[in-house]
Amino acid sequence: MIEISATEIKKQKKLVLTWSITFLTVFPLLIILGLLMRLNQGEKISLGMDNFYVLMTLHGLGMAGILYSIAFAALWYLIGTRYAKLNTGTGYFVFFMVLAGVAGLVIATLIGKFGAGWYLLYPLPFKGTFWPTWATGLSIISLIILGIAWLIGIIHLVYALAKEFGGFSNLLGWQYIRKKEVDRELPPIVLITTVSLVPGVIAFIAGAVFLVMFLLQHFEPTLAFDPLLLKNLIFFFGHTLVNITLYCCIGWVYALLPEFTGRPWKVDKVVVYSWNATFFFILFAYFHHLYMDFVQPLPFQYAGQIASYLSAIPATAITMFGVIAQLYHSKVKWGVIPLSFLLGTAGWAIGGFSAVVDSTIAANKVLHNTLWVPAHFHTYMLGGVVLFILGFLFYLSHSKEEQEKDKMAKFGLWLFVIAVHSFIATFYRGGLRSIPRRYSDYGGIRIEYTHSTGALLAQIASVFIGLLLVGLIIMYVSIIVKLSKRKIPSAGA
Amino acid sequence: MVSFLFNEWLSETMPRHQLLQLPALFVLGIILGSRFSKDKVIDLSWSIAIFIFIMSSFVFWMLPHSIDVAAINAWFNRVMHINMLVAGFLLVPALRHALFEIKIIFLGMWAAMITAAGIALRVFDILLCSAFTIEQQKETGLWLIIIGTGLYAFTLFVFFSGLSRK
Repeated sequence: MIEISATEIKKQKKLVLTWSITFLTVFPLLIILGLLMRLNQGEKISLGMDNFYVLMTLHGLGMAGILYSIAFAALWYLIGTRYAKLNTGTGYFVFFMVLAGVAGLVIATLIGKFGAGWYLLYPLPFKGTFWPTWATGLSIISLIILGIAWLIGIIHLVYALAKEFGGFSNLLGWQYIRKKEVDRELPPIVLITTVSLVPGVIAFIAGAVFLVMFLLQHFEPTLAFDPLLLKNLIFFFGHTLVNITLYCCIGWVYALLPEFTGRPWKVDKVVVYSWNATFFFILFAYFHHLYMDFVQPLPFQYAGQIASYLSAIPATAITMFGVIAQLYHSKVKWGVIPLSFLLGTAGWAIGGFSAVVDSTIAANKVLHNTLWVPAHFHTYMLGGVVLFILGFLFYLSHSKEEQEKDKMAKFGLWLFVIAVHSFIATFYRGGLRSIPRRYSDYGGIRIEYTHSTGALLAQIASVFIGLLLVGLIIMYVSIIVKLSKRKIPSAGA
Repeated sequence: MVSFLFNEWLSETMPRHQLLQLPALFVLGIILGSRFSKDKVIDLSWSIAIFIFIMSSFVFWMLPHSIDVAAINAWFNRVMHINMLVAGFLLVPALRHALFEIKIIFLGMWAAMITAAGIALRVFDILLCSAFTIEQQKETGLWLIIIGTGLYAFTLFVFFSGLSRK
């Protein structure tokens, strides 16, 4: 077993605080972009189509990037202070590369007006654009920088774990299947880190292929690639990135929730089987993004549905069961940290369920181009991942007693959660009423019901975004006050 | 030197030039490197610089204009030979002492670059190198896709075998 020195822990805390402050700064700004978009759809302000898509691009890329980055940074911190020696120099290198990538994207979108959406659906970044070509080039280079930064971080972390736990198969928990008794217990966070991050390596390298192809076309505009191939590559990269963000967060719920319930949460055969299923099927689940592409070979469409079910259901079911087993009759004191984790798990389950509904071919035929899609990913990102992140930030800033007594933080959390689910409900309602997604506004829709319902729901959504920002600010105050008071955070001790 | 002996034959078609001559020179460099630079210790910053040099060398000699000039200009052709030999020569010590993370990034980005270049050559209907034909261009593209995919598989093999080492 490895011994982590106090100096090393201090260094890791500084690194994770750097990430946390960056997240705390960037996250509300990106929410404001979302608010502006909904106000525009609600016909309360007029951004113009080009500005709307610029904001949508920055909101999408920014949220996916910052949520993944902080989820990864939190995993890095928990692993680096408990289970393996991680190089903080590499950690800062990743941080500054991510910062450089984000700066490039901000310049490309806000100054260059790059507005192709996070998915850059081919031939969109090149054909029919309203932005200059340098903005496309800068966006592609920024994404390459981000991809390389994340890859370096992932490989460093997984490699350090593999060295510590005696190889890759041990990280996946196969020793639990092979033997009755294991020599060394595998912490669940290590298993989930591996399951989350290793598919990321496979997907990020594949993502590099489409980014290099984009770069080639940027330099040689007469080039034209197969749109179906590019869509497959883009969603393999993008879907995997978003999926692993969620699983990174689940990793620390397995690690931290037992500290509040007082019950151990151990790896066993069932946990190993379910998370290994996720490890394998996560790579093929992205096919569900291509149901509308009639030229996609039919077996891939079926594979998409099957893989979506098999990658999500076993791990979700086993985690839900685990959370219930942790909490039932545990006499847990409902401070803001366990509350964030429980509510986040609920958001993950609800969002995951509506995602599985959407990945069902028969349902997707109706829901694919409607607001159901932003509904489901906002549920598990805003109502799941963000709550897990907030829980982690409270863990960094508050002691166990402080988080139990902090009424202001709890009020902020409840306000945030109620506002989030109300905001998301407007998306679900819109999806069920066939309000189209990715529309800058609904003014051009000739069906009056769709136009008026879309605009009304966007107006209601704007009110709830305002409320969730208030809840967030209250929690920010609590976190920042506590962080500024303590020199070295006690990390839940 | 193989390339000097068979230079004309190798420069005759694009697949020979891109898929035989370039890799052959690179492999010759690797063989020389593994023979003569076995014990050289290279630190991290130098190994990263070498990887960037190798990648840039490949990018440069895959540019249509460079291919054209290398096929028709003997002096430029010699520069290509030396460049690829040096790149191969430096690869061995750089790989041997590089961090695991850097190795995977290098191999992965190299695989991505070769695959993307192959797809570009395959789908492009305009002749890129006037020294060769469009059929040769497409054939080269197909082989580059195969090599790139193979390199991607090799990268994953190196990655998983690195993780499996106890």
